[in-house]
Amino acid sequence: MRAPLSWLREYVTVDATVAEIADRLFTSSVQVDAVIDVGVPDVDGNVGRFLVGRVLEIEAHPNADRLRVCQVDVGEGHARQIVCGAWNFEEGATVAVALPGAFLPIFDQPLDERELRGQASRGMILAEDEVGLGEDHAGIMVLPEGPEPGTPLVDLLPIRDQVLDVTPTVNRVDLLSMVGLARDVAALLGGDFHPPDPADPEVVDGEAVDITVENFEGCPRYIGRVFRDVSIGPSPQWLRSRLFLAEMRAISNVVDVTNYAMHVWGSPLHAFDRAKLAGGRIVVRRARSGEELRTLDGTLRRLDPDDLLITDGEKAVALAAIMGGEDSEVTEETTDVLLEAANFEPLGILRTSERLALRTAGSNRWEKGVDPCVAENAAVLASRVLVDLAGARMTGHVDVNDGLPERPVVPFRPERAAKVIGVDISPDEQRTTLSGFGFDVSDDWHVTVPTWRARDVTREVDLIEEVARPVLDRLPYTMPLRRHVQGRLDKEQRLRRVVEDTLVGAGLSEAYTWSLVADDPDPRAIRLRNPMSSEQAILRTTILPGLIEAARIGVDAGAEQVALFEIARVYLPSGDRLPDEHWRVAAIVMGGYGEIKGVAETLYSALGLELRVERGSHRVLHPGKAATAEAGCLGELYPSLLEGVWGVFELDLETLFAGVPERIVYEDVITYPAVLQDIAVAVDEDVEVGALVDAAQEAAGTLLREARVFDVYRGGQVGAGRKSVAIHLAFQSPERTLTEEEATTARERIVAALAERFSAELRA
Amino acid sequence: MEPQALENAALAAAGAATSVEEIENVRVEFLGRKSELKLALREVRDRETGMALNALRERLEDAIDAREAELERAELDRRLTDERVDVTMPGTPIRRGHLHLITQIRREVEDIFLGLGYTVIDGREVETTRYNFDALNFPPGHPTRSPLQTLFLDDETVLRTETSPSQIRTMESQEPPVYIVTLGRVYRRDTPDATHTPTFHQVECLAVDEGITLGDLEGTLDYLLKALFGEERRSKFVTHHFPFTEPSVEALVSCHICDGPGCPVCRHSGWIEVGGSGMVDPNLFEFVGYDPERYTGFAFGWGLERIAVLRHGIPDLRELWRNDPRLLGQF
Repeated sequence: MRAPLSWLREYVTVDATVAEIADRLFTSSVQVDAVIDVGVPDVDGNVGRFLVGRVLEIEAHPNADRLRVCQVDVGEGHARQIVCGAWNFEEGATVAVALPGAFLPIFDQPLDERELRGQASRGMILAEDEVGLGEDHAGIMVLPEGPEPGTPLVDLLPIRDQVLDVTPTVNRVDLLSMVGLARDVAALLGGDFHPPDPADPEVVDGEAVDITVENFEGCPRYIGRVFRDVSIGPSPQWLRSRLFLAEMRAISNVVDVTNYAMHVWGSPLHAFDRAKLAGGRIVVRRARSGEELRTLDGTLRRLDPDDLLITDGEKAVALAAIMGGEDSEVTEETTDVLLEAANFEPLGILRTSERLALRTAGSNRWEKGVDPCVAENAAVLASRVLVDLAGARMTGHVDVNDGLPERPVVPFRPERAAKVIGVDISPDEQRTTLSGFGFDVSDDWHVTVPTWRARDVTREVDLIEEVARPVLDRLPYTMPLRRHVQGRLDKEQRLRRVVEDTLVGAGLSEAYTWSLVADDPDPRAIRLRNPMSSEQAILRTTILPGLIEAARIGVDAGAEQVALFEIARVYLPSGDRLPDEHWRVAAIVMGGYGEIKGVAETLYSALGLELRVERGSHRVLHPGKAATAEAGCLGELYPSLLEGVWGVFELDLETLFAGVPERIVYEDVITYPAVLQDIAVAVDEDVEVGALVDAAQEAAGTLLREARVFDVYRGGQVGAGRKSVAIHLAFQSPERTLTEEEATTARERIVAALAERFSAELRA
Repeated sequence: MEPQALENAALAAAGAATSVEEIENVRVEFLGRKSELKLALREVRDRETGMALNALRERLEDAIDAREAELERAELDRRLTDERVDVTMPGTPIRRGHLHLITQIRREVEDIFLGLGYTVIDGREVETTRYNFDALNFPPGHPTRSPLQTLFLDDETVLRTETSPSQIRTMESQEPPVYIVTLGRVYRRDTPDATHTPTFHQVECLAVDEGITLGDLEGTLDYLLKALFGEERRSKFVTHHFPFTEPSVEALVSCHICDGPGCPVCRHSGWIEVGGSGMVDPNLFEFVGYDPERYTGFAFGWGLERIAVLRHGIPDLRELWRNDPRLLGQF
């Protein structure tokens, strides 16, 4: 919302600069998005070069048909000659004049005295766009009679102003009004708050106003006022300027008045052409299924039984609280006006405006819950201005409501407030703060909440916030006492970091891929009911597909080496409402089976685990190069999934971590040296080396500390269908130095076991 | 050969040797197993000749050792003089892995709070509306409850829209005091653009104890902001509104780019909004059965991506999900 400072200052007298006002509001009331300088430049004395003038004489320009030569009194004791191209004024008109030397917002250079087609022009008669007060350039500003020539123009019009652009939080719809902002400014900066309080026009030639509210739940209050003999026309310049600075379009005096009163009080109003209402009636009801209404923007709206409608008993005339209907719009021919100053409940309005994707200045306020009491303030202000500006007579008034809400009364403990806020604020100061914001505080600290905050403030803690708002920048920075805390990661969190660090150390980079995917191999995978796109519609049960895509992006980016991992959750259907969320680690590296197995072995080793796999199969793996481990799968990527040779794994972290030893106990591998012996045995091609190592371990018992395959050789004397496997053996005892004989005996047991179980021939 | 002539010949040969290899040849020739001297020593019968030949052997050994040392030194000198590398040549490439930027920030925040004595809670990503909305005091009709803003699995199940449900689950499972942080993925129906991705990461903090104040919240956040953005940063707190906190405040940090006068990063205000926070609304305590008279608490929830944007100048959040190695490798 835009709040021109000159307008704000009409309702609050305060000794503070715009910067101070913006700063206090920002800290304590409302987000200030910007402070916008508008109007004529504020350079040395510039504002003083804009004066009220009276046109004394107008003559045709001798050399130019479209120009006129005016003699204008600007209070200098003699007339000033100004050549002007506008034709919307006559002799005697009161106009706005810029003197030579004045800087206008639209020109880089100051205005100078010059000749226009041979006639001296010593100044400029101003149009509204030339001083930043509007967009109209069809004619010059004709001001109301009254101000003396020579009066500073800034006394009449905000030709130099600052505009606050503010966005209140949803609970502060009261700050979507000039009055609400003025109240907070006064309270925060010690100013004097004086909201507009015009005399309500007398009802003349009184007539009944026929208003029926069928749905008080949706429309708790409906003030209807009838005006006759309304002369529709443009609004005066002061009103046009204010609306312009508040970012509203001037349309006609009647419409402008409703917008003006809304901006002042925050309660939107609407004006109907009463002649177009059947019988001049208003009936507020829910829409009927399939009912239609063409709104002011020309769109035909199909309505829903939840939508609230203003009707005339026969047809819909407005979408309540959101937009008027085209058929009952005020036009140049309108003479009778029905002014609506109503109140609408927020939720239904929000639903309708969301469903129709139609948000207006009105719906934006209603959906936040406007105080039903301010409808009357807005009605009175609008009526006053309407009567004053449009020469109208107010002939009828009715206030239909089902009783206005009570003001909440909340017991309050100032000492509790100080304790929660954490700074010593005296009860007196708290009382002053609350009073400033419009709360009535009794001697025994019962606080009556003002109507415009009644939705938001119902509890002591809400009042504590009111007391805290002004002191947010005065609080001492403290830390909680923390007498009982445990600042450490749990085992799983620690181990996740070990996994991250190990894989990074192994040269893999961490990728982040979406939990939501287009499709998933598990047909039971959970689908979203309202996905944003088919690309992100399913909660994944596996990470690898995302990681394969990430690898593809790496290749496309021209990376020579791509090695990625991700630690993330998968979402497995559990049969209950909530899926099982499992942490997984997945990796993809350029290179074959050995490459990825090396990464996995490094990871297992870092966790104090031994990787054990057996032949397996998996959708994304090469069938001949796929392995299964207890925690997941590992292998070479199925060739058509990504160009090149890639190794991948995906492991469940909970399973992985379950085997991690609590602690590693010292083992003496130094005092007594190991006896190293290598063997090579020839076995059939289909014998897995893992089986050989297991058998060796079993046969040799505890003396064999390590058995590691270091070479596999095929061909030559080994023979077709056979391979020679070289195994490195380390025999060691923590208690004594082994003799060669002991090692050799153990070695022979191994050879014998391999021969028996695998028909292994000893080659070396 | 006559011993003197042998000695002369050996010394001359040693003197003439110009490399370690040549001096080794000289050693073999005059002192090796098949050398004239060794053969003579093997055949010697009388003590006197033996002593003389042994003395000769020692003299030759010393001379050859000396010459060898001299040549080795010369050779080392030559290597040190001749061998040079272009020190500006690149090293042998070693594949380096990188933690994702968001993980780095996540860990940094975790470590800050671990240092303050907080516990890290993982929380769930798929939540019931009861924990995601009701328990957090979202009023009926709050826009976040709308399927326009939140991803639903069914009427009562959503992808968490903030990390806050973990606050409720933690409070339900233990008595105060509670000092926790939760970091992880959250989901909103935001159309992806430079500043929004439908999945992003939050850090959520909750402290509940006797005597926790709004000043404690401000002090904690000031500490966090300085840790993340530099000791010279200043913090400021302005009023705000959230369903789950009362009072609510927004934290701002003095702009680390311009430090005050205003620049595009801080939108010419000198201050940058970092995230929402406030005192835990008593309704949350009632939901979990804590006594709101006895306990107070504070909570905040910030986006980790926002920290990445502000601190590292990431221009487009979508890039954090593309995993382009050229981006991953920068951090």
